[in-house]
Amino acid sequence: MSEIVVHLTVNGEARRWRIEPGDLLLDVLRREGYWGVKRGCETGECGACAVLLDGEPVNSCLMFAAQADGRELLTIEGVAPGDALHPVQEAFLDHGAVQCGYCTPAMVLCAKALLERSPQPSEAEVREALSGVLCRCTGYKKPVEAILAAAKAAPKPRGKTARRRRAER
Amino acid sequence: MFDRIRAFHRPTSVAQALRLFEAERRRGGRGRWVAGGTDLVVQRERALRWLVDLTRLPLGYVRRVRGGFVIGATTRMADIEHSKPLLGFADGILPEAASTCGSQQIRNMATIGGNLANASPACDLAPPLLALDASAVIAGRGGRRIVRLDRFFRGVNRTALNGGLLVEIVVPAPPKAAATGWSCQKLGRLQSDIAIVNAAAGVALDARGYCTWARIALGAVATTPLRARGAEALLVGRRLDRTAVEAAAEQAAAEAKPVTDVRGTADYRRAMCRVLVARALEECARHAGRTL
Repeated sequence: MSEIVVHLTVNGEARRWRIEPGDLLLDVLRREGYWGVKRGCETGECGACAVLLDGEPVNSCLMFAAQADGRELLTIEGVAPGDALHPVQEAFLDHGAVQCGYCTPAMVLCAKALLERSPQPSEAEVREALSGVLCRCTGYKKPVEAILAAAKAAPKPRGKTARRRRAER
Repeated sequence: MFDRIRAFHRPTSVAQALRLFEAERRRGGRGRWVAGGTDLVVQRERALRWLVDLTRLPLGYVRRVRGGFVIGATTRMADIEHSKPLLGFADGILPEAASTCGSQQIRNMATIGGNLANASPACDLAPPLLALDASAVIAGRGGRRIVRLDRFFRGVNRTALNGGLLVEIVVPAPPKAAATGWSCQKLGRLQSDIAIVNAAAGVALDARGYCTWARIALGAVATTPLRARGAEALLVGRRLDRTAVEAAAEQAAAEAKPVTDVRGTADYRRAMCRVLVARALEECARHAGRTL
């Protein structure tokens, strides 16, 4: 088979992969050691393989690795530096939102994408953001509580408030 | 899974994509276009030898044109779902349909072109696009041709593409009228599931509430998405009231040719087709400012 080379960014680091033309992104990520990307149904239903592609959740089991060329990927390994935890991960621990943990990386990534888009989401928005990740043990109650708590605890955006902007005019 | 694929082409223009596709086709071996991959990968076609990727083509756009829209084929479901201009067009039936096309991750990958070209009888965007009289623009060796969507679907997973590339969808301006109303309905186990039955409708009413134009489109009740032309004809010239809605829903169900599968029996589908069309027309009336 004819090997191809792709250049991309994974967790902030430039990567050069030699891949087969028919390789799926999930397979290459796991081969490269990103084991936080879970192999689940492999038909796009369970969402355990979710990664952030340019900041948005996609199922890596349905994407060809060649399509990741020039793109930016984030896996659970990259949500916080070193041994530090992302606020959503902290909240998952505090709220007992993890049991077997298989769906947790995908849930954390979907939550992170949501909070970046909508820093103070409603419960309905949180549930919608998790609806593409199937959990078969913890359920959704505690993950939803954890994500809402993480949003509440987050420092308010540093931009000037509308009132201050008005006052300056 | 796709270990027999020997080439994955990544063109950046439509012309280049067509050249690559044609060269591969002459060389032989099974190959396909691919965009979001959410249907193609799941179909697990092991015989595939080559793919031409469309995600680098400049076909991700929603443009307003003369009261209607042109939507690029690789525009993702998520982009349609959140498109402000589309949310304000035809009571937002296109974003509404797109928002039910699988999970968030799927909608971040799946494209409008893939949704149509896959030609599933349950295709999420087909009923609203049929109700809007949309057409497909297809690029091929001989240039571009336009195929009305009601002639685009030819069977389960079969289309009028014939090796051509679906490049954009044209949605014409809806008819001018005193009032218009649109609706899109879907029945699935969950909102994001594949439809057991789906439907869309659009009506134009004159100042007295008489129907001057009507479209009723059905999905998952035949080998292709289809228009219920008999039911449409029944509405035109009539006042849009409860009796007319019931008669049209009955007629639409009679035009359906459903099959029995794991998601529902033919009888259930036909019964639900009547229910969804009635709901769609009731909502159209509401959106057009009428109480039934």
